[in-house]
Amino acid sequence: MKTLTKAATTGLLFGVGGVYLALVGLLEMMQARPIVFGAVNLGQAVLALLALACGAVAARDAGPAFARAGAGLLGGLLAGALMALLQVIVATVPLQGMFIAASPALRNMLAFGFAPGPGALAMLLGGGIGGLAGAVLAVSVPSLRRAIVAGAAAVVIAGVFQELIQLMIQYEGIIGWIRDFVYTWQGLRPQGAVAIFVIAGGTSLVLSHRSSAGHVPSPDQRRRRRFISAGVALLVLVLMPLLAGAYIGEVLMLVGLYILMGMGLNLEVGLAGLLDLGFVAFFAVGAYTTALLMSGSSIGLLHLSYWEAMPIAVLVSILGGVLFGLPVLGVRGDYLAVATLGLGEIVRIVVLSDFAAPLLGGPQGVLDIPKPSIGSFELGSPVKLFYLTLVCAGVAAFIAWRLENSRLGRAWEALRDDEDVAQALGVNLIRSKLLAYGLGAAFAGLGGSIFATMLGSVYPSSFQLLISINVLALIIVGGMGSLPGVVLGAIALIGLPELLREFGEYRYLFYGAALIVMMRWKPEGLWPSEVRSRELHAAAGEAEPVAAMEPG
Amino acid sequence: MALLELSDVQVFYDKIEALKGISLSVEAGRIATLVGANGAGKSTTLRAVSGLIHPRAGTIRYDGTTLAGRQPHEITAMGLVQVPEGRRIFGRLTVDENLAMGAFTRHDRRGIAEDRERLLQLFPRLRERLHQVAGTLSGGEQQMVATARALMARPSMLLMDEPSMGLAPMLVEQVFETIRAINADGVTILLVEQNALMALSIADHGYVLESGRIVLSGPGRDLLDDERVRHAYLG
Repeated sequence: MKTLTKAATTGLLFGVGGVYLALVGLLEMMQARPIVFGAVNLGQAVLALLALACGAVAARDAGPAFARAGAGLLGGLLAGALMALLQVIVATVPLQGMFIAASPALRNMLAFGFAPGPGALAMLLGGGIGGLAGAVLAVSVPSLRRAIVAGAAAVVIAGVFQELIQLMIQYEGIIGWIRDFVYTWQGLRPQGAVAIFVIAGGTSLVLSHRSSAGHVPSPDQRRRRRFISAGVALLVLVLMPLLAGAYIGEVLMLVGLYILMGMGLNLEVGLAGLLDLGFVAFFAVGAYTTALLMSGSSIGLLHLSYWEAMPIAVLVSILGGVLFGLPVLGVRGDYLAVATLGLGEIVRIVVLSDFAAPLLGGPQGVLDIPKPSIGSFELGSPVKLFYLTLVCAGVAAFIAWRLENSRLGRAWEALRDDEDVAQALGVNLIRSKLLAYGLGAAFAGLGGSIFATMLGSVYPSSFQLLISINVLALIIVGGMGSLPGVVLGAIALIGLPELLREFGEYRYLFYGAALIVMMRWKPEGLWPSEVRSRELHAAAGEAEPVAAMEPG
Repeated sequence: MALLELSDVQVFYDKIEALKGISLSVEAGRIATLVGANGAGKSTTLRAVSGLIHPRAGTIRYDGTTLAGRQPHEITAMGLVQVPEGRRIFGRLTVDENLAMGAFTRHDRRGIAEDRERLLQLFPRLRERLHQVAGTLSGGEQQMVATARALMARPSMLLMDEPSMGLAPMLVEQVFETIRAINADGVTILLVEQNALMALSIADHGYVLESGRIVLSGPGRDLLDDERVRHAYLG
């Protein structure tokens, strides 16, 4: 009975999720992105994924194999039934006044091109089969399951990012032959999809076979593996713009700026526990300082070169951070978040005001900011500026890493845990907090400085609250207090949505979902810091935990 | 000579007078205790001494100098260190990191290492748990961490706030034995306790606090025998 209820609930939940995706218009939009040319598009892949996941979740903890299969089947059928119902409703009731996405095209997609009746049956059947398959997958041998998932994931990635990948492999000869075998310009060829599936799945099988035949990897080995994969990722990051051109360069540049900001905010929030929602203010200070110092327009002050302006911008940002920190020194927790939110908005509004317009240009902003140059070599293109960002991020990461392991870093961690006690042990509260704001601001100011010279102009409208929220979201998803986490978070939350441009409108939907999923299943983030995962493990198990720590 | 001396200290929380002018002194090398019911102002007294709140009137002198206007970290640096109520260890750091935080104001690496070793001998349990997250320890072990952490600052005086709170009776005995051992090493102690019986029995001098005033004081033994104390606190 319990498994039955659980399977039914799961099915209904996934069904509602599917209906939601359909009605906000995401499914139809995904339909426009082919994965395998003429056969599978992203929308269909997502539908299939929903059914499979539904089956797998419904089948979890359902006891013996046949019960699990039944649970998966039931879950899938129910989810399919909801989707089929939606299709029939869209076909018969004019819903488009309320849900603009409830179009004939959506109906057609949900009916797999059939008439409403047979279409509903097909969806129901499809859901059932998908659910059953998901359940079977869930009970199958782990190595086989991993291989199938890896193969499917590889096909989806290769298909969704086909334009990007093809741009990188515009060569003649053997590479050209492989490319033409795998791709058309509208997606993967069927034979290409099969080949990728087999290769990725096979690799996964071989790897899991090797590790199961040999030994369980020690923590040391695992750590080494993680660093090797990080190294490979870095190499890809460095080489990618060279291979893939300006567009990727621009996207990576943006990711780089967010990494810089993320590392800064990570000092404040991740280490010192100071929740700051006005972080964009420091980014703005860096950008405006650079702009005013460099601009060739009448508002420009000194017409400095970038290399002179950038250090000054960073210093001014540090000063800004300290000033920003002063009024909120005694504010803790939730109140701090609200106070910083207000401070951040004040900065933006001051910049916008008529009062400051003669100095800062008001809504018109500051124009005519030259690009940096080394000798006569101008860093004019996004790709060249990306390398500047990369170098800055590298230096910043080194500094952040050293800070983490310093006396100051330890003082921050102690402050985050218990302000009073940290003070009682000799931590200078005022200095440590102001240093956290100041140093965090330095990173953001550096990012702002690059941002100003990249755009060649700065406007107050570029410094919205959303940037603060983005930065906070990326360090949460990446893993609080973890440097590699910042990089992963920036790639996942900033890079991916940029690459999937047409889904841009849905970015915040995706954020919300990603944050909820992360908080529920992987609260420590994608690449957690040691302290953070420790504390979560401490909360999860072992005797007599947190209660005794509460102040009496 | 009095190492710590409070004279006529008044503390207000907004308009509420928490301490109505209390005076006490702790002789160097001794154990003094401040007993009293919940809300009598015991913790407030300690917070005032450690600089977390500032008295409205009266003076607090430590080792001959006034503490007025000093920040908590400065007072710690003078050798006057608090073991806070409810232990308040850094639950997300390891035991070892907690100990390292205790020596935050010190820079003599050799001395720090020696003290760490000495304290791990005093608290062998902590050696076993050195790399465990402190939040997962039992209440008694957490008290050890809090005490050891305070001692890592190599204090000349320790302010202990309710060290026996919430511990099993057997552990309480142990805590008081530890306090005596620390004192025997030359550390002056001001102990704030609800467990008046235990506190008075190890203290050289006791003060009884009642709604912000000291109503009785005298050698610990004498207070134990005092009819009023017996009646009010010992049942």
